[in-house]
Amino acid sequence: MQNKRVNLEVQPGEPVGMVAAQSLGEPGTQMVLGTFHFAGIASYAAIATSGLPRIIELLDAKKAPSSPLMRIMLKESYAKSFPKAEETAKRISEIRLRDIMRRMVENFAKGRILVILNQQAMQIAELTPGQVSAKLAKQLGVEARVGEHGNVILHTHIKNLKEVRAIAVRAAKTLINGIEGAGRAMVSQDEKTGEFYIDATGNGIDAVLDVEGVDPTRVYTNDAFAAYRVFGIEAARNVLASEVAKTLKDQDITVSDRHITLVADAMTASGTIKSIGRHGLVGSKESVFAKAAFEETVKHLINAAAFGQSDYMRGVTENILIGKQIPLGTGVVKLTIKNTQEHAKGRKEKE
Amino acid sequence: MAKAQVSTKCYVLLNGRSIGTVSDPMAYISEVRAMRRKGLISGEVNVAYIKKLNEVHVNADRGRVRKPYIIVENGQSKLTKELLEKLDKKEIDFNYLIRNGIVELLDAEEEENALVAMEESEITQESTHLEADPAAVFGFTISTSPFPETNAAPRELMSASYIKQAQGLYATNFNLRYESRAYVLYYPQAPMMTTATYESVKMAKHASGQNFVIAVATYYGYNMQDAIVINKGAVDRGLARSMFFKTYSDEERRYPGGQKDTFKIPPATTEGYLGEHAYSKLSEDGVIEPETEVSEGDVLIGKVAPPRFLEESIGTGGLEEKMRDDSVALKPGEKGIVDDVIFSESPGATRIVKVRVRSIKIPETGDKFGSRHGQKGVVALVVPEEDMPFTEQGIKPDLILNPHAIPGRMTFGYLLEAFGAKAGALKGVRQDGTSFTQRGRSRVEEYGRVMEAHGFEKSGEETLYNGVTGKVFGAKLFTGVLYYNRLHHMVSNKMQVRSRGTVQILTHQPTEGKARLGGLRFGEMERDVLVGYGASMAVKERMLDQSDKAPILICRDCGSTGYRDFAKRASVCPLCGSTNLVDVEISYAFKLLLDEIRSLHISPRIRVEE
Repeated sequence: MQNKRVNLEVQPGEPVGMVAAQSLGEPGTQMVLGTFHFAGIASYAAIATSGLPRIIELLDAKKAPSSPLMRIMLKESYAKSFPKAEETAKRISEIRLRDIMRRMVENFAKGRILVILNQQAMQIAELTPGQVSAKLAKQLGVEARVGEHGNVILHTHIKNLKEVRAIAVRAAKTLINGIEGAGRAMVSQDEKTGEFYIDATGNGIDAVLDVEGVDPTRVYTNDAFAAYRVFGIEAARNVLASEVAKTLKDQDITVSDRHITLVADAMTASGTIKSIGRHGLVGSKESVFAKAAFEETVKHLINAAAFGQSDYMRGVTENILIGKQIPLGTGVVKLTIKNTQEHAKGRKEKE
Repeated sequence: MAKAQVSTKCYVLLNGRSIGTVSDPMAYISEVRAMRRKGLISGEVNVAYIKKLNEVHVNADRGRVRKPYIIVENGQSKLTKELLEKLDKKEIDFNYLIRNGIVELLDAEEEENALVAMEESEITQESTHLEADPAAVFGFTISTSPFPETNAAPRELMSASYIKQAQGLYATNFNLRYESRAYVLYYPQAPMMTTATYESVKMAKHASGQNFVIAVATYYGYNMQDAIVINKGAVDRGLARSMFFKTYSDEERRYPGGQKDTFKIPPATTEGYLGEHAYSKLSEDGVIEPETEVSEGDVLIGKVAPPRFLEESIGTGGLEEKMRDDSVALKPGEKGIVDDVIFSESPGATRIVKVRVRSIKIPETGDKFGSRHGQKGVVALVVPEEDMPFTEQGIKPDLILNPHAIPGRMTFGYLLEAFGAKAGALKGVRQDGTSFTQRGRSRVEEYGRVMEAHGFEKSGEETLYNGVTGKVFGAKLFTGVLYYNRLHHMVSNKMQVRSRGTVQILTHQPTEGKARLGGLRFGEMERDVLVGYGASMAVKERMLDQSDKAPILICRDCGSTGYRDFAKRASVCPLCGSTNLVDVEISYAFKLLLDEIRSLHISPRIRVEE
């Protein structure tokens, strides 16, 4: 057992980064672009970016992922009852005026905006025109009332065309119900535990934590930056690693977790999320030659010349460039030849 | 939000440009079509209603691919029996059918509006057109190969591209032509399994393959994956043997200043003289004679040219200018016999010489072969005839194909062709394999009956004996006759080796490519593999020792590069005058980089660790 553990240990000088890069890079060549095998399943996972585009998104450390998701687990009493879970989901689900209206008619001459609501959408969202009108009045600071056929009329008392239009645009974006940045929320049930939980299409994770019924210790997002903002860099690292692992697993590609976590560690080691590329990891390399050999050769050389930089030849790329043995693997071991004369001299002096 | 307004107007676009609207698009297009069929407007006009866009597209521009269809009206084909008889008697022709609205050509857009019946019996009241022949759904190349409808579609696409690479009798006057590269098969054969298209264009007159006797079996692992094993006896009898022609040409160019090139044996005083031996095969006029055996490095056309730069001639001062050798020699790795030499004149009244070199290409390990079903393979072994498996009658296959090549690729046509051609060979009649003419099952039964009638197994399988041991094989093996193409990728034209050799002038790195006797690139990804192993000395050997190692001198005092002054027997730093320099080995590419940086008025310094 002891032997086995020792054998599994990585030796000093082992190029783990290189191996990790190759282990992730090679399967990348055989990955399928967006997948389509979720057809027919009513889940937000079906619309999530997957495959190579998702991996690129993660490694490039995109600030705004193309399909943010949250998995919100609930406190025990809520997790066991569907109505209560549904209620919590309603509280979270982000509904803006544009989601529940059919159209808007602006009367510039009278400074009035008529909002024709979509009754069907209203019913699903369990909202009344009165609630909408109250919310609009509060958020926009204009006079609002419920008109005929359950429509809402906004009185701006402004007769400037531009300003009326601006209010109309703002009104469409107004949050009527739910949590800022939460997206649409939907209740699902865990097959194993029978527990109800909420999937949401947003990354507004901070506000979700405070919602009644939500278990704040069990909230997950696939957006590394959201995790970084709310929970810190360690959480971001875990999100990166688990998201890469999940994406690869979806395509039946097996890559050792060690490689994936190494990449996630490298990206987050500085305390912020750094992308893999010239603006991130490679850009933060010490060597001028290594940077110049990668991308934007001229820019790096000019900078080095202008600021009188030195290259200490500690990396791999720069040593290959000049033709020196690389400081990796067999190259980390340095042999000092015992100079017998000096050795003898030193001994004599001691004596 | 607001409901989308559905426009009731239907736009008409002529060659993609809007020219107006119509209220009833269907009536409009049927009117245009009727006029076209009557010959009132050009038959090259196509009109289509695009339902999705609610637009009528009228196209009359160039570059549209169109396909002929027989017009069907009221459930009746317009190509009647009387017309067919007249066609047979050559009283009318295809153009007559187009002019009289019996056949029309549809483009891609108008095809979308058509309901085409594959066969006359399938015509319904809704049908608008009739396919001229079910086989016409395929293009030219595919309709020359048998049973395409029984193969997987991707294989058929691959087959089409392999057929184009086949060596054959590309032109009957090949011996009068001077192609830069030409391949001619010694004994081209018409395929045993042919198609209607193949016959109607008389492809057999320019056949590009031979009928191979094949066995579907393994051969000691020599035909793993897509490798094939061929019979040396058959090869010796001329199977798939071909000629390769290559033309070398040169011209006596004229230069500004009255100078010109001259075809002659270059005198030993010319610049870049290749040595007496290289020119030994040239005749007095400086050009090689036909039927001379040549190998790499032999000069075919001796030519001297005036010096490239004027400065060179100023130095000599005399009337006799120092000339430059500009001869044409056989490329490395090539050999052959000079087939023919012609002299001619260019439009600019300069003399032109063309030398055609011929070489015989006997099938060997590494040559590529392909059938007409997208099944290509490379020869892995040429087996002596006595070691080939043989049948009861003593028939030995020309080629052994690995059975694993068939099921995953779903090329049923491969087996069907082999089976049918075998039946044809027994009967002594070439068979028809045109697509959609008969159901596969009924074909198998028909061929099986022929086999039985000739005393063969009706399944096409035969008892084979191991050629090496003489023992009977435990299982019966499928054998047949298959039309194989020898493709123009041959090892003898591609093989190349190098240990040490030429380097590029600029970077001192090895050259690339066969023509320059180059090495194989040890690229970035290959380097990454060695780095991943931590094999630091292996990386250094590849990237430095075997590439562009350059010794330079570096000044210990100021860090600039120095030189060795042999007169003073000392190393000198030209910048600080120090003689305290150290020898280092760096890559020449890095030295070049330093030089280029210096040329930008930036002074890089190197500090050396002792």
